[in-house]
Amino acid sequence: MTQHQCPSSKGKVEPPSGPRHLARLNGRAAWRSTEEFVDAPDFREFLEREFPAGASELLSTSRRDFVKLMGASLALAGAATIPGCRRPDHKILAYSREVPEEIIPGKPLFYATAMPLPCGGAEGLLVETHEGRPTKIEGNPLHPNNRGRASAEALASVLGLYDPDRLVNPRYDNPARGRLNATWDDFRVWAERELKAYDATGGEGVAFIAEPTEGPAWEHARAMLRKRWPNAEWVAWSPAAVDEPIAGARIAFGEPFRELFFTERARVIVSLDRNLLEDEPGAIANSRGVASMRRPMTSHDEMSRIYVAESAFSTLGGLADHRVRLAPSRIAAFAVELVRALLRRNPDLPGASRLRDALAALSVPAGDDLQIPMASGESGSFFDALAADLLATEHLGRSLIVAGATQPPAVHALTHALNAALGNVGTTVAYLPVSEERAAPAHAGIRRVAERMRSGGITAVFCLNVNPVYDAPADLNFAEAYARVPARVCLSVGANETAAASTWSLNGAHYLESWGDAVADDGTISAIQPMIAPLYEPAHSPIEFLAMLAGGEAVSGHDLVRAAWRERLGFAEGDARFERVWRRALHDGLLANSAPSPVRPSVRFEAIAESLAGLDVPAPPTSASMELVFTLGAVGDGRHGNNGWLHEKGDPVTKVAWDNPAAVSPATAKALNLEPDPYTARQEPRARVAALSIGGRDIRVPVWISPGMADGVISLAFGYGREVCGLVGTGVGVNAYTVRQAGQGRVVRGATLTRTGDHYPISSTQNHWSLESRTAVAREIDLPIFRERMAGLEHAGKATVKDPFVTGVASLGLAEKLGELSHTPPNLSLYENPYNQSLGNPDPRAIDPKTGAPPAYSTRPQWGMTIDLSSCSGCGACIIACQSENNIPVVGKKEVAKGREMHWIRVDRYFVGDDLNDPEEMISQPVACVQCENAPCETVCPVNATVHDGEGLNVMAYNRCIGTRYCMNNCPYKARRFNFFDWAQSKFNGGLDPRYVPESMAKDSATRITFNQNFIPPRLRAKLDEISKMKQNPDVTVRGRGVMEKCTFCIQRINRARVEMKLQDLGNVPDGFFQVACQQACPSEAIVFGDILDPDSAVSKNRTSHRGYLLLGYLNTRPRTSHMLRVRNPNPAIRVAVDHFHDHDHGGHESEGHDEPAGDAQHSWRHDPVRRTDDGGYTLSLKVLPIPMGAPA
Amino acid sequence: MSALFPKWMNALPTLGAGAAFFGLIGVVWGTWYWATPDYTRVGYMPTQPGTGFSHQLHAGQLGIDCRYCHTKVEKSPEANIPNVATCMGCHAEERLRNWDIHRVGFVREAYAEDRSIEWRRIHKLPDYVRNFPHDAHVKAGVSCFSCHGQIMGMPVVYQAEGLHMGWCLDCHRNPEKHMVPPDKVTDLVWVETEWLARPIAGRNYNGVTPQQLVDSLRRSPPQTCGACHH
Repeated sequence: MTQHQCPSSKGKVEPPSGPRHLARLNGRAAWRSTEEFVDAPDFREFLEREFPAGASELLSTSRRDFVKLMGASLALAGAATIPGCRRPDHKILAYSREVPEEIIPGKPLFYATAMPLPCGGAEGLLVETHEGRPTKIEGNPLHPNNRGRASAEALASVLGLYDPDRLVNPRYDNPARGRLNATWDDFRVWAERELKAYDATGGEGVAFIAEPTEGPAWEHARAMLRKRWPNAEWVAWSPAAVDEPIAGARIAFGEPFRELFFTERARVIVSLDRNLLEDEPGAIANSRGVASMRRPMTSHDEMSRIYVAESAFSTLGGLADHRVRLAPSRIAAFAVELVRALLRRNPDLPGASRLRDALAALSVPAGDDLQIPMASGESGSFFDALAADLLATEHLGRSLIVAGATQPPAVHALTHALNAALGNVGTTVAYLPVSEERAAPAHAGIRRVAERMRSGGITAVFCLNVNPVYDAPADLNFAEAYARVPARVCLSVGANETAAASTWSLNGAHYLESWGDAVADDGTISAIQPMIAPLYEPAHSPIEFLAMLAGGEAVSGHDLVRAAWRERLGFAEGDARFERVWRRALHDGLLANSAPSPVRPSVRFEAIAESLAGLDVPAPPTSASMELVFTLGAVGDGRHGNNGWLHEKGDPVTKVAWDNPAAVSPATAKALNLEPDPYTARQEPRARVAALSIGGRDIRVPVWISPGMADGVISLAFGYGREVCGLVGTGVGVNAYTVRQAGQGRVVRGATLTRTGDHYPISSTQNHWSLESRTAVAREIDLPIFRERMAGLEHAGKATVKDPFVTGVASLGLAEKLGELSHTPPNLSLYENPYNQSLGNPDPRAIDPKTGAPPAYSTRPQWGMTIDLSSCSGCGACIIACQSENNIPVVGKKEVAKGREMHWIRVDRYFVGDDLNDPEEMISQPVACVQCENAPCETVCPVNATVHDGEGLNVMAYNRCIGTRYCMNNCPYKARRFNFFDWAQSKFNGGLDPRYVPESMAKDSATRITFNQNFIPPRLRAKLDEISKMKQNPDVTVRGRGVMEKCTFCIQRINRARVEMKLQDLGNVPDGFFQVACQQACPSEAIVFGDILDPDSAVSKNRTSHRGYLLLGYLNTRPRTSHMLRVRNPNPAIRVAVDHFHDHDHGGHESEGHDEPAGDAQHSWRHDPVRRTDDGGYTLSLKVLPIPMGAPA
Repeated sequence: MSALFPKWMNALPTLGAGAAFFGLIGVVWGTWYWATPDYTRVGYMPTQPGTGFSHQLHAGQLGIDCRYCHTKVEKSPEANIPNVATCMGCHAEERLRNWDIHRVGFVREAYAEDRSIEWRRIHKLPDYVRNFPHDAHVKAGVSCFSCHGQIMGMPVVYQAEGLHMGWCLDCHRNPEKHMVPPDKVTDLVWVETEWLARPIAGRNYNGVTPQQLVDSLRRSPPQTCGACHH
């Protein structure tokens, strides 16, 4: 991208060269990327352009190709016009004999089901189906884990159902004739012939490799199989599984247990490299609990305090009040120091004497990484302050200490000891027993089976929904051992490496197509029921397959699950009571009261002390010997490899989409000379490729900088680098499994990174849609200041603000005073807009003189939204929910690099701190269209394609849009997205099937990277894959090329709710009657939507709270979405809260001064010298004032 | 020299300008008239499968209510086409008559094979209209007649109205033109002859006037883009 294309930027004045002030947040600099922190002039030029360089370029076509192809397309266009004259013949196919009673054509139905998670647990879901076609996944409100919310992975799983690269039919690798298409009957015949021999030995020589799934149906099917082949080898394999937590529990309790958290009760959370909010069986419940303790509204509301020691920023680390960056191996030292401090402060803790003895003998190599800066004047260390916080009377029994997968068993055991000693067991943490089979070492089974395969001990192997050829530890050489087995059968939903290497690759049923059950984190048995018959019939789920193998006949999954549940519940066959239970369970999606009650195992302090004595804490890693941390990437352990939504959502911290670069800290990258080429006006960022070497294995990885990582640590995500995956996922990223060895969990020591000469383009969205040079975009305050200010306001009877839109009174809340609005006059509009001066008490001039009707915006409902930064962790579930609900296309890596990603809601991530290498905090801010009442986009649209409706929505008429992009240019929030191409027909969205592309135009039909379909007239263009089309929400238009689009608050749901109200003869839509997609998904419940004219609605309560502020409100756009400032709760001994209200307070405006209507506010708001130099928008706003500029009064 | 351009050619520019002027008017008028849905779509009457379905016979002569077949019109955004079983409720084997077999044979066949009849769709809104709720319109008191014409008189259904946006907005702006008493929504003959045939001021059904019907709406018909396009 070297061309400088934008003609309007020619002859532009060079940006000022002096240093620019970064936006401040709570007294510290807030920035998104290294480029922004360093503030290179070249990057500044990028920021000032509307789009990155090359954004208006075609897909991948040079100018020469363009001319060539245009000729071809003209010829095609001529051919296309003749059939174009005919009116298309549409058919209506009604039901034939029976219409299922519950089906109302045109209305969606919702069914409960569950999605099993890779490391145990399940998410309870509700699936929206349109005439039997699942389109959208939502959380099941009745499910104890989800409570109506869902993770990004679950939300995106519906795309997996319509994956165009799914296996369609069984395929058999015929020794003589190669791979052949076959049928399930062929397989059954084959199985009968080939597998009969194993009956004599009871299945000796047969191995099954399956996911570690639980549930009655699963156990029932396995029992059936065991009856036929008692000696068959059974291996539970999940690459994401780790041994350390179970091993820690074994030390602490003598038996395997797993933890169940009640984060909503925790006032102090100490996390030792464990992100409770993601990649956990209970992540959704944990998110909900953590968030519920993070949003104080009044001066006396409780708020938790979170301490996190971690190697790379996680979503929990972003929320944390105190975050310490430490290499995983050094976190053990952190834990040791913490225990020492605890014992110093309270020598009488349970088990203290034993721990003390063990710690006395333990030597921890010193390192300055544990020298954590303290508040000035504080004598004790960080650990003393942390210990004091944990031991505070009000926190006893209300704290929670957790250790992550990177930590050794001794640290896990230590957390159990501490939780017990601090009285947390039973309040914030409970224990559930784990079966011995699940507690077995994660890699033992796969190692054993690989060895037996190699030695010829196993002659038939069945892989059920697992992909060990791709993800087994590298030193097992699984692929090679697998190839030696004569009978290899793989059942999988999508195309994968194992299926490609098997003699039989069988097409499995997606979980949305099959019967089954799963066990949620708390032990609740959740029902999996099919939403649709298998798309590629016949297809079988693993339990059906097992039952088929056991009995030789196909068994319906429904009967299997029913039988298993009836047995489990102890009902006799034909018992009518069971029918009631069964129906209820299917309706609710779970078996009520099936969760086991947690146990309270006694802690064995002596064993913990013993393990502690053997704890090996090394010195901090260096760039010569680094620590490699494996994480789960956006696509999980690789199972969602062909899921474009998850790829494009990218990582919540690095914001890298479509890749898994090795992330290192800025200092490490500098030391190793591996700094990526920055983003500039003329170039998209490129990473340096380095050779990552560990344990004698090498892999070439692009290196990316992630501020806030511990020095000497590499973080690399699993799940990428798939070789056999499909159109979307093949060849995305690098395969981290190739450097992982058996027995290694999530962290390996002794890695090196060596620079190579190569570069690798990286698509990171961290600099996209930047609100650069605008200050106070994300806002934050410390709890003591919040409490103090709120107490004063409450005392003065001003516990809430008046909503300026509703009341017309310009009153500024606490959060507003942290931003520009306190410096700008209440109304800057050049034109008086009598319609929306005040919704609650409209201007009499706006009343229709003829009819006397009230002004449009003063009648209920008036929609609004609040987004709480205090509880948002930045996980990105909202992005996927929006994508699914609104038919938002995937654009692919190259297009993301050009800034063309189409997400209507984005999550801006800011690092906060004055040190590039060690930012103190991370804050995530979701931004969608804020539905400005004075919308800048509307005034510039030449064709009125975007206008306001009577309920305050800024609506978008796609069919009217002519694609000038003026609106996008004029949107200060950068919330608008433009369809540069017919994305819906691109390969990521099911289009571009080579069968429909003219042969002569296909560049490379083998890889299906074909002709640029944008040059083919629409009528002849690549036809959409019929299956991929099914995922679209019928209530939302699929936008074509050249059309602007953006969030409209899920207007289809609003319209439907309104119609329902009409049908029921009810009045206004009650609060909470429906939810918008992002709100519904948010596991932290950070997004609230509703009617701002309803004084009792949750949204108006948030809007009128002192934490609400309007993003860029000083532009007088009057956004309907308000953000709520983040409150942090620092430990005063570690960081003293500073009242930053005084920082930009140029003339002592106390709260009273601002609460007055503007008239007499004749002071400081007009002039802020710092902001004036930095902030173009601010300066502009000053210019429109009628008052002549001058020195501040 | 004089032979090169005859004298009459001096009039050519004037004639040409005149022809261009009237030609332009002709093109505009022609587009206005022929290229709008009122011309291109009204009257669309595709051949239906089998012997078709006569609304004139079933709804008109036999007086079957619209909702007997279009069962979900009050509950769903879509007015469903009846399933084959609904047809068979009357046309089953045991009610066989001689003349019957030729005309409803295709229905019986479809039922016997448990497959759908491929009816041709007549009324189709463009893809970018994502919201036309039948339920809300019926509830509000818009008669079937207003959009579908006198279905009770159609042996073969055809499109009676243009269904273009200006036509929609006409009613949304002046709902009193088309609102009928709620219990008369499906009584198309009555609606045509007794209600819509009269001037708005003269419409009165047991004391119910168009103005009362409009006043009874909780919310006036939406006229924003977002009401239909999303």
